[in-house]
Amino acid sequence: MNYNRTELGGNIGFTSVVDEKFNSCSLRLMMIVPMGDSASDNSIAVNMITDVNSKLNSIAAMNERLSELYGASFASSVAVRGDMQVLSVTAGWLCNRFAIDGEDITGDMLELVTDCLFSPFADENGFDESIFRLSKKEILDIIDSRFNNKREYALVKAREIAFEGEAVQYGGSGTREQVEAVTPKSAYEAYWKLIETAQIEICFVSPENDDRVQEVFREKFAAVGRNSASHTFYAPSPIKSTPVLVEEEFDVRQAKMVMTFKFDTDDIDAVHLMCVIFGGSPVSKLFVNVREKLSLCYYCSCSMSEFKKSAVVDCGVEKGNIEKATAEILNQLDEIRKGNISDEELQSAFLALENSYTSFGDTHSSYISWYSDCFFRNEYISPKEYLERLFEVTKERIAAAAANVRLDSTYHMLNKEAE
Amino acid sequence: MNREIITSSRTGDSCIHVKHKSGLDIYIREMSGFSSVYALFGTKYGSVNTTFKVAADKEYTEVPNGIAHFLEHKLFENEDCGVFELFAATGAQCNAYTSFDKTCYLFSCTNNYTENLRILLDFVQKPYFTKENVDKEQGIIGQEICMTNDNPEWRVFFNMLRGMYHNHPVQIDIAGTQESIAQIDADLLYKCYDTFYNLNNMTLSIAGNINADEVLAICDEMLRSCEDKGLETIFPDEPETVVQAEITEKNAVGASIFHLGFKCRPDKRNFLKKEMTASLATSYLTDASSEMYSRLLSEEIINATFGGEVFAGDGFFSVILSGESEYPHKVREAVLAEIRRISAEGIDEKVFSRIKKATYGDLVRQLCNVTAMASAMLNTHMAGFRPFDVVDIVSELTAEDILGFIRNELLPDKTVLSVIEKI
Repeated sequence: MNYNRTELGGNIGFTSVVDEKFNSCSLRLMMIVPMGDSASDNSIAVNMITDVNSKLNSIAAMNERLSELYGASFASSVAVRGDMQVLSVTAGWLCNRFAIDGEDITGDMLELVTDCLFSPFADENGFDESIFRLSKKEILDIIDSRFNNKREYALVKAREIAFEGEAVQYGGSGTREQVEAVTPKSAYEAYWKLIETAQIEICFVSPENDDRVQEVFREKFAAVGRNSASHTFYAPSPIKSTPVLVEEEFDVRQAKMVMTFKFDTDDIDAVHLMCVIFGGSPVSKLFVNVREKLSLCYYCSCSMSEFKKSAVVDCGVEKGNIEKATAEILNQLDEIRKGNISDEELQSAFLALENSYTSFGDTHSSYISWYSDCFFRNEYISPKEYLERLFEVTKERIAAAAANVRLDSTYHMLNKEAE
Repeated sequence: MNREIITSSRTGDSCIHVKHKSGLDIYIREMSGFSSVYALFGTKYGSVNTTFKVAADKEYTEVPNGIAHFLEHKLFENEDCGVFELFAATGAQCNAYTSFDKTCYLFSCTNNYTENLRILLDFVQKPYFTKENVDKEQGIIGQEICMTNDNPEWRVFFNMLRGMYHNHPVQIDIAGTQESIAQIDADLLYKCYDTFYNLNNMTLSIAGNINADEVLAICDEMLRSCEDKGLETIFPDEPETVVQAEITEKNAVGASIFHLGFKCRPDKRNFLKKEMTASLATSYLTDASSEMYSRLLSEEIINATFGGEVFAGDGFFSVILSGESEYPHKVREAVLAEIRRISAEGIDEKVFSRIKKATYGDLVRQLCNVTAMASAMLNTHMAGFRPFDVVDIVSELTAEDILGFIRNELLPDKTVLSVIEKI
């Protein structure tokens, strides 16, 4: 594997990973801006530019072209890191040596992607009205359909409660009302502002080196005239003075509970280990005690949001068991605070992390994910170096970190019928 | 013990197949440059296998619904400790799943794969069921049943199956019901285990950073020879008709969803060819470049979630179109009109060739994915074929094959429309 990161100028980073074992290529371009009033405009705009461009100006034409290129893909996504909105477009395609008819798939995909980014389908009134309408509907449908997945919906509600009043309260695309208010013109203007001012990070993974990729982006962005600021991603969320509980009732069979914790420590590595021991594996304290020993939940796990300095425990639980489950979850956290961590628990956490980080490089997405995280952390190290640092974490550090973890808020999705 | 090297004539990729003396079929794909290992140890035993016998039995045994899934949960507990603990000691991730026609136990790891393989082969061959541990599991599985019943995607799918199949057990939830799992006891679990977890009915598939010699040496060490007992599973006769053309349920959802299913005739002998023909026909019908798709999208009858898949196994075969829509009846009307049009006008060769190219691209990409390769080797074997056959079959399919499938299998009186509407 050959890794290289370079600056293309105009606050654009370009990471290239060449790994000859692959038979396909992946390209991700991330545009990063602070979450703000344009979040919904940005979200629709980036969704729209992967649907059409000025040459392929219908969704049908775009799909036909991708299908001709051996089922290539091109899609957008929106996420938040800290208080930043991260808008990504990702393309994937088969490498040229597998083209039956000798096509230059990489060249064709570069043309398609850059046409979408730099020559969107628009006129003097902004994005094309009919495609814009569909794109906006797609974002609204995604917001509405979150309730179809009750676990995801509970996590969304828990985030809204935990981060109330903060920029990321409503996630990457904003609220339904904010999305409704977006127009073809406002989205189009927001899009060009993104191209001109967003911090941009590109990652290209391929089986062979191809300088055309880097060069085409250098050239295209140079023509734009960029004026971009760099951002930091750590944005700890303030903890509430008293934990808040919000309950909603729905016609569901199983209740859900999400507990959001926040931590006030800079020892992120220790919190990382703590979350694995607490609820990050099938031998974690939550799995073994809450699920297996007490049979209170079908799932009960813990995950950390590093940049907001928060962690959530989410579980599916019977309404009548919520109190018992809450008590046991807090009891297990107390055990960690007291340093009651067995050698086996610590060793299992180390091994699980080692297993996870050493499989880095087996998929395109693992490379992209790792180097994106390096960029967000502004710390360019290898997974091996990161692991070595995690292995230095002691039980004492984990207990000290846990002492700084406090309950911020809880969300209960309750079933109406049950007592 | 013969090692058979199976090579794809199209891509040059290869894997090893061994029919082990214990009765087990083993597939191995060494993948140079990869760090991880993914292994699946599976049995051809899923939720549909509720009636069975072996050669020595006079009568068929009928077991409660959900028992294959229950057994999967219970195998994770052996006499001394839980299986999760054994894998945790090596750092591997382990899991299991039960589908309609198979149960698989798996691990993924980057280190200690030989030790993990030993654990996998050992615990699956070592059942330990007691009254206490069976009773305890009923609570956890009851929670799982509650959770899946809150999943509208699951409900819309099973409602469709109930509208489609009169007698075939594919219509029954994989986990069973609270009532059916209450009938399960340790003796029944042993009966099912002894019948289906015979190595002659099982497959090991392993891919990634491995050495075939090491894998086979561990198999020699760990596998206990099994006599082939002549397992027979049967299914009740299933008419070609559907039970109910339409099922609507109101539910707590944010977006209404639908499944439009076509009941097709299963073909065990030509399963893979029929499955790939159906798959390409489904891609043709739901092609995002088609006039039908563009019209439904612009009229906001469908959105980007619209798509299709083939759902097939032992004794069941269907094509399912699904997505979010407030107007599922209009979707059905448009799809049936499109089928009539294609049946009358034939297949557009250019579109067909493009869809074939896209399918080829997807299949080739899979060859560089450790997890996908191990799964594909196991799935093709259990379906009665060999790895890489699928690439050849797709290459040989013609527009006439697709047209024949659409004309003869996607029939209006064999459709079931299942809808979950917002309350």
